Amino acid sequence: MIRFFERYEAETSQFFDEVISKEGTPRPHYDKMLHRFSQFSTDDIKARREIVNIFFRNQGITFTVYGEEEGVERLFPFDLIPRVVPADEWQTIEKGLTQRITALNAFLHDIYHGQKILKDKIIPAELILGSQHFRREFVGVNPPLGIYIHVTGSDIIRDGQGNYLVLEDNLRTPSGVSYMLQNRQAMKRAFPVLFDKYKIRPIENYPQELLRTLQEIGPVSRREPNVVVLTPGIYNSAYFEHSFLARQMGVELTEGKDLVVNNNKVYTRTTRGLERVDVIYRRVDDAYLDPLVFRPDSKLGVAGLVNAYRKGNVTLANAIGCGVADDKVIYSFVPKIIKYYLGEDPILQNVPTWLASNPSDLKYILANLSSLVVKAANESGGYGMLIGPESTIEQQENFAEMIVANPRNYIAQPTISLSRHPSFFNDTELFGCHIDLRPYVLYGKTVTIVPGGLTRVALKRGSLVVNSSQGGGSKDTWVVDE
Amino acid sequence: MLSRVAESLFWMSRYFERAENTARFLDVNFNLLLDLNKITHIENPSYWVALILVTSDKERFNSLYDEYSARTVTDYLVFNKSNPNSITSCIGLARENARSIIESISSEMWEQVNNLYHYLQNVTPQFVQNDPYGFYKEIKNASHLFQGITDNTFSHNEGWDFIQIAKYLERTDNIARLIDVKYHMLLSEAQSQPELVAGSEDIIQWMAVLKSCSALEAFRKVYLSKIDPDNILRFLILDRTFPRSINFSVCAAEDALWRISGSSRHRYVNNADRLIGKLEAELSYTAIEDIFSKGLHHYLEDLEQRLVKVGEQVHLTYFAYHTPEIESSDIEEALPFTGVAGGRANWSQAQQHQQQQ
Repeated sequence: MIRFFERYEAETSQFFDEVISKEGTPRPHYDKMLHRFSQFSTDDIKARREIVNIFFRNQGITFTVYGEEEGVERLFPFDLIPRVVPADEWQTIEKGLTQRITALNAFLHDIYHGQKILKDKIIPAELILGSQHFRREFVGVNPPLGIYIHVTGSDIIRDGQGNYLVLEDNLRTPSGVSYMLQNRQAMKRAFPVLFDKYKIRPIENYPQELLRTLQEIGPVSRREPNVVVLTPGIYNSAYFEHSFLARQMGVELTEGKDLVVNNNKVYTRTTRGLERVDVIYRRVDDAYLDPLVFRPDSKLGVAGLVNAYRKGNVTLANAIGCGVADDKVIYSFVPKIIKYYLGEDPILQNVPTWLASNPSDLKYILANLSSLVVKAANESGGYGMLIGPESTIEQQENFAEMIVANPRNYIAQPTISLSRHPSFFNDTELFGCHIDLRPYVLYGKTVTIVPGGLTRVALKRGSLVVNSSQGGGSKDTWVVDE
Repeated sequence: MLSRVAESLFWMSRYFERAENTARFLDVNFNLLLDLNKITHIENPSYWVALILVTSDKERFNSLYDEYSARTVTDYLVFNKSNPNSITSCIGLARENARSIIESISSEMWEQVNNLYHYLQNVTPQFVQNDPYGFYKEIKNASHLFQGITDNTFSHNEGWDFIQIAKYLERTDNIARLIDVKYHMLLSEAQSQPELVAGSEDIIQWMAVLKSCSALEAFRKVYLSKIDPDNILRFLILDRTFPRSINFSVCAAEDALWRISGSSRHRYVNNADRLIGKLEAELSYTAIEDIFSKGLHHYLEDLEQRLVKVGEQVHLTYFAYHTPEIESSDIEEALPFTGVAGGRANWSQAQQHQQQQ
């Protein structure tokens, strides 16, 4: 038996294991990697762990956990064993996501123009018009190229049979792409020997692709658009990523106070006066973008930004109002949305979903709280959810009350046993930890998906929650050609 | 360059320089007391109170500690987090400013600030007590390394000039304070114990002032004969070639300001340039006798206030988030002049915590 795997329990009867097949043998695309790992001693692993830790610390790759003492920064937990995705599986993901994002963009364009899909009663109109992310003010506004969702990061999981399913479409401000890039750097430092055996598709061009996309969507009248990144500030948990992407693209990282609007045009304040801005890759929520239009108490936004945007003098990526399409209730309609706009069957399936707003579903949800996962429609980051099998009776009762009070705001899904991947525990033993995958989709003149993504790992034993705010970690993700 | 980026470069540099100067004061004080241990002992409060006077926040110190001793003053100036000028606070603030512009500085600069920050997290009072010399040397060297890294990995353009302005304004201010306090102390001693001032202890004290500016050897080369207070003041205030003299530092700040704005002698384009130019010109034509006739204390106090004015003008000219042509003047007053970790950053902290998907 291969070293480190002597005591590894894949539990393939319960879970889909990424590395070990049902027959108990390694899957072919992991062969060479396991062979390499078997040549390492525990001390080798520890030494490489140290290299990785120093790399992350020196780069300042830490994240802040809200609700803890101010200034508490943690290293983002990183697992040393990379995940391998064979080329044919990747092709399915790539095609499936391209189809899905194209359809969702067509959906957004429709919702903010003719609303045909509502008139055809494919989706109940009240679900859209009543959504807190629907921005009535933007009906009729035409973003350049008709694109709303320039940067997205869909969460993909695998069910017990290994089918790839989409769990969430993050169409507003998906984060984590810097970890995808840094994880690859860390692996190259720590395990250069692993890289000669595989043809790993490169991901390092992501920042260039992102910049190209952002330049393509600039206002038509501006030849060489000036792109900036807009961050909420250094206390945001994803601040590292905002500054990292700005640096990699070679553009300015701005905060709201760096920008000013005059005569419906946006400028940065510089030591030499004002400079025109054409495209803003914003990592600030809609609600904080412009105190004159949204939350008046916002200190992060720019007064007048929305008017400049409506006039077409500046492009925002992503557009305002995309949240209406990544709401967890709308999620359940995505297969219909694909069919409606593209006339195709979805390549990637959804996780079955019950809507509390639907009376018969509501009954089912309330009766099965102990086995379902219940999610608030508009929360992200693993907040506001109930994991039935891990919850107490009291928590279930609390949720039941909240669901009945506001059914539009809740959905339920079966507890999917996410696929598992062996991950190091104390650098000595391997455990099967649940994982997901978040590839990043860029949408400019074309749809581009850098081969790979962020594989998030629930490093707490048995935990199903992979969000970094909830103790999750990540690992490098390799798309390999044979 | 974004105004915010320029401002953070400025404060990153300024806090780093402040930490180095505090380390210098403390280091020299230890050495001084070892030299003087025949006539006093290391816990003599009058030697420690001077350090608190240099940083001029006696009230805050008194609210935290009961006595002036090696232990309390070291704790206050090295570790205390409620003292914004302690070495730990300064490096924390320098790092916070660096972090807010991490995409604009070189990664080597970031690593150096970050390393020193993590080093300080692990230093204990016991460690400093056991090897004060080693600890302060570490801080000074870290600051020199940071400056060297900056000079060699960061483009010498506008941003670098803001770093220079901050460094030299801070340094000028610190030298002025140091001289002021030492002179004050020696003067009051002279009144109470006239026999001491004439003696070797006085010389030792003045040598300590020179040493804290790394100036003893340079001074010796200029004034071979005699270490006397007049010559020391002449050197620390008026020398144009020594990098820790007031005149040198003011010239360096002036050069940097003029490079940014394109000003030149006899032709200034903003108030910051005008004020620093005036200060530099006066220094160039000042003799030590002029200073004495005005009174050293008054002279230094005036100098410190003028430095503050220069800082204010740099802020208004380059950093203030206020564009008069666009925003009417009734918007809130310019925010406090303290860099990223001062009053400005905290008000929006809660909103910055918005969840990312």
